[in-house]
Amino acid sequence: MTILAWKDTLKKVKELIDKAPVGYVLDYEVQPDKSIKEALITVTGKTFVAKAKISKIAPYENEKNVLKKKKDRLKTLVMVEKIEEIQDDIVNYEEVSGGSIDKILSFSVLAKKEEAKIEQREPMEEKLSSDVKSLLRQVEKDGEKLPVKIAEKLAEAKKQYKIEGKDFDKLVKATIEKYKETGVDAYEAVGIVGAQSIGEPGTQMTMRTFHFAGVAEMDVTLGLPRLIEIVDARKTPSTPSMTIYMTEKARGDEDRAVALARSIESTTLLDVADIEVNTTESYVLIMLDKQKMLERGLKREEILPRLKKIRMQKTTITEEDDQIKLSLDEPSFKKIYQLYENLKTFQVKGLDGIKRAIVKFDQKAKEWVIYTQGSNLAGVLELKDVDFARTKTNDIIEISQVLGVEAAREAIIEESTSTLHNAGLNTDIRHLMLVADMMTFTGVVEAIGRHGISGKKASVLARAAFEITSKHLLNAGLIGEVDRLNGVAENIIVGQPITLGTGAVKLSYRREE
Amino acid sequence: MAKYNILMHEMVPEHWLVPVKDEENILKSLGVTKGQLPKIRKSDPVIKALEKMEGEIVPGRIIEIVRKSRTSGIAKIYRTVIGE
Repeated sequence: MTILAWKDTLKKVKELIDKAPVGYVLDYEVQPDKSIKEALITVTGKTFVAKAKISKIAPYENEKNVLKKKKDRLKTLVMVEKIEEIQDDIVNYEEVSGGSIDKILSFSVLAKKEEAKIEQREPMEEKLSSDVKSLLRQVEKDGEKLPVKIAEKLAEAKKQYKIEGKDFDKLVKATIEKYKETGVDAYEAVGIVGAQSIGEPGTQMTMRTFHFAGVAEMDVTLGLPRLIEIVDARKTPSTPSMTIYMTEKARGDEDRAVALARSIESTTLLDVADIEVNTTESYVLIMLDKQKMLERGLKREEILPRLKKIRMQKTTITEEDDQIKLSLDEPSFKKIYQLYENLKTFQVKGLDGIKRAIVKFDQKAKEWVIYTQGSNLAGVLELKDVDFARTKTNDIIEISQVLGVEAAREAIIEESTSTLHNAGLNTDIRHLMLVADMMTFTGVVEAIGRHGISGKKASVLARAAFEITSKHLLNAGLIGEVDRLNGVAENIIVGQPITLGTGAVKLSYRREE
Repeated sequence: MAKYNILMHEMVPEHWLVPVKDEENILKSLGVTKGQLPKIRKSDPVIKALEKMEGEIVPGRIIEIVRKSRTSGIAKIYRTVIGE
């Protein structure tokens, strides 16, 4: 359903409510459209305050007894039948022409945004086989714990070797015993072990940036620089990139994959046309390059409506063949250059941030996959033909914003293991999981190091031992900080046993009263 | 909201809102207080999606997260909802 929307003053809205039904004159041209039956009015640009039923849209021809939005430059008359106050979010609407309405709208034709039904996935626990479930239940009844993976193996062994009754109970008991033995002891320094386990292979990593496997045109940062980027939680990675999978129906079709890739590649006017400025007669000439437009899959008809959206200056647009002429109504040397600058970076197609999109056939999975340079997760997930559940980006911060912290944690683990594996190094995943857990502990992705976790330690001495010693000590002195000497670093500084292993045990004697 | 349900994304593990009456049991079994659990922001996209189903989720509630773990098969962890 399409809806008309415009921005107005609160006074005008009140007036409309008082006088409805009444004709109202807008200062924009609206094509008469019978399907438009509703209008929304915003005052702040954040929420809509009123909803109106409209019966007619027609060009304005000096009718009397009508309300006017402005005094002059009026263009369209709409008949307001009924109007009532509402509270509705602007976020729930999108522009029909395909744009977004993050800017405060002055006038637009909108449609209610499609919304997916939010529902839970089928719980993983339900999917376990009944053998595993009953085994887990039995273990829990005995007050013990066993990971699902081990329980699955036990259930499998039971079937394969036909272990029954008491023998199986014995096996389970022995497994639990062994499992407990392998656990980390209390007060073991897992962080330090983890740091060493990542740090040592890190010394063997390359400092170079390699090319993306198979796609020579695309650079992807690998090796040590990438690992540093991940733990530093950079706002944008140096080579952001997405892997876009397609829906079941579309994944076998090369044409659809290519079409999708073309439609997301961000194309500026300069990519498909030459732009010339004529300062004496004050016009800008856009000469479209047919060859380049064909490559980008862009039609001339798509460019024109977009161009009309540049409303910064009053211009008249004339077109002939492959030339579009934008001439200023009032000649101005400064303004014509401003217009030229605007046009140069004017985006005619695609999503923000996606510089290139390459289509590749995945031999193993037998499907077409799109790899991109540049990343725009929120934009791509909305698109048709995209299998949103599998589509990924390597921009961890973006993932945390679009899919949440837990997905970001997953991404940190995934990215760091694959970086290490690509270099032929095998670091136990538990160390990387610990890093990811620490980085997402506060609910947002935080860097390790001075600006992140190490910089937020409670102990002054621990912070001073890490980096910029004098700054931390001076600040602590100024505000009178107290150090309880609970951590490792501060105890080493003062020469006490550290609170690890046997040093963690404290004996105290309580005298009987 | 968007055209997709983020709870269905491969990278998003299961998130479940823990009923208030179960909170005490969970904290007791873990031996921690709410403040010691990892946090999740109220502005987190997943919490926003959960709110569509469960109504408003106030800071202080506990979210159960069921992850597909590479080491133990299925892992359950908990996060406390905080403001912002």
